Amino acid sequence: MAAAEGGKALSALLGGMAQAAYYGKADITEELLRGQLYPEAAPEEFRALRAKMGGLLQSIASADMDLNQLEAFLTAQTKKQGGITSDQAAVIAKFWKNHRVKIHESLVNQSCWDNVLKNMNWRVDLKAQSRHDDQINTPVAIVEMELGKNGQESEYLCLEFDEAKVSHMLKKLSEIEESMTALTQTT
Amino acid sequence: AVDKINLIPQDFFAELCEQIIQHLNHKNPGINTVELCQRLQTSGIEVNVDDLAKITNIVSFLFSTAARSNLSTEELSSALGSTVNTLPKHAVQVIRHVWSEQGKSVAVSENQRHMTTVGQFVDIKWKLGVAMSSDTCRSLKYPYVAVTLKVADPSGQITNKCFEMTVPQFKNFFRQFKEMAAVLETV
Repeated sequence: MAAAEGGKALSALLGGMAQAAYYGKADITEELLRGQLYPEAAPEEFRALRAKMGGLLQSIASADMDLNQLEAFLTAQTKKQGGITSDQAAVIAKFWKNHRVKIHESLVNQSCWDNVLKNMNWRVDLKAQSRHDDQINTPVAIVEMELGKNGQESEYLCLEFDEAKVSHMLKKLSEIEESMTALTQTT
Repeated sequence: AVDKINLIPQDFFAELCEQIIQHLNHKNPGINTVELCQRLQTSGIEVNVDDLAKITNIVSFLFSTAARSNLSTEELSSALGSTVNTLPKHAVQVIRHVWSEQGKSVAVSENQRHMTTVGQFVDIKWKLGVAMSSDTCRSLKYPYVAVTLKVADPSGQITNKCFEMTVPQFKNFFRQFKEMAAVLETV
């Protein structure tokens, strides 16, 4: 295969594998990839290529390699027996630079098994009648939160907050923010 | 569920009725059915949270109906005696007692309004974590916030709703509450 052509095909192959492994496109099969990208290659030859590239991509994604680690890793691969060519290394490097953030995000999501906050809406109502006779026209916030696990149906939680409760919430959220700042400063 | 009332000792039932009527009087944020249930189970009493929730609803309904009809303690007793004849004697005694002490101050109009699906925010508990590694990714390293919202549903029962947020999701959450506070102030 000519280097440029091979480069394009390899890049597309990596893209296809990422779609299947990280972006949830389950219908991208080996057959599809071979037919589209390497029509002249024999099935076993293609399978071997796919396995090799897949393994490399997995290692890189699992370690969430930065550029230094990536260079060291790929260089080592070019020196191995049955490793990769330097052209292939260049294609892989370019691919990872472009897709690193998105792939990492996908891996993060895959590890989140609890409910997540999918969406949040709110409005402020004026209560015409209040709990206590001495307070009329008190404003309240009505907050709607969409909660759910990845890929499962959502639960809608609708909550009422008066001014005091919003203050309480803000106080707690500030505590979280402080902890977060302290955490990121020490890592 | 009414049969299960037979299983609940008088002092526990009295505590439950106290919480219910205090909630109707807006003196507490809600009724801790989960906690009461745990204590009952520890004492060897076979009641589950659902049973206790049903009993809570029944008693709550009794008290609010009595409030609406402005029943005196005598009138409530005779009403109980004639309609709900499966209530054990100790339960009737407790209901009578609680009603005679605190029945007068139960505000009626509020209960109608809250027969919607809006809950009351009670409190928030949080923890900050960093997911380090998983089977699909050895180098996850992502910080997240896990929160538990304590919420009182329209009938007053307190439940916990848990969910996780990533750092950007948390910042957005915080920002929304700040906006809410600003609007509440100006209304």
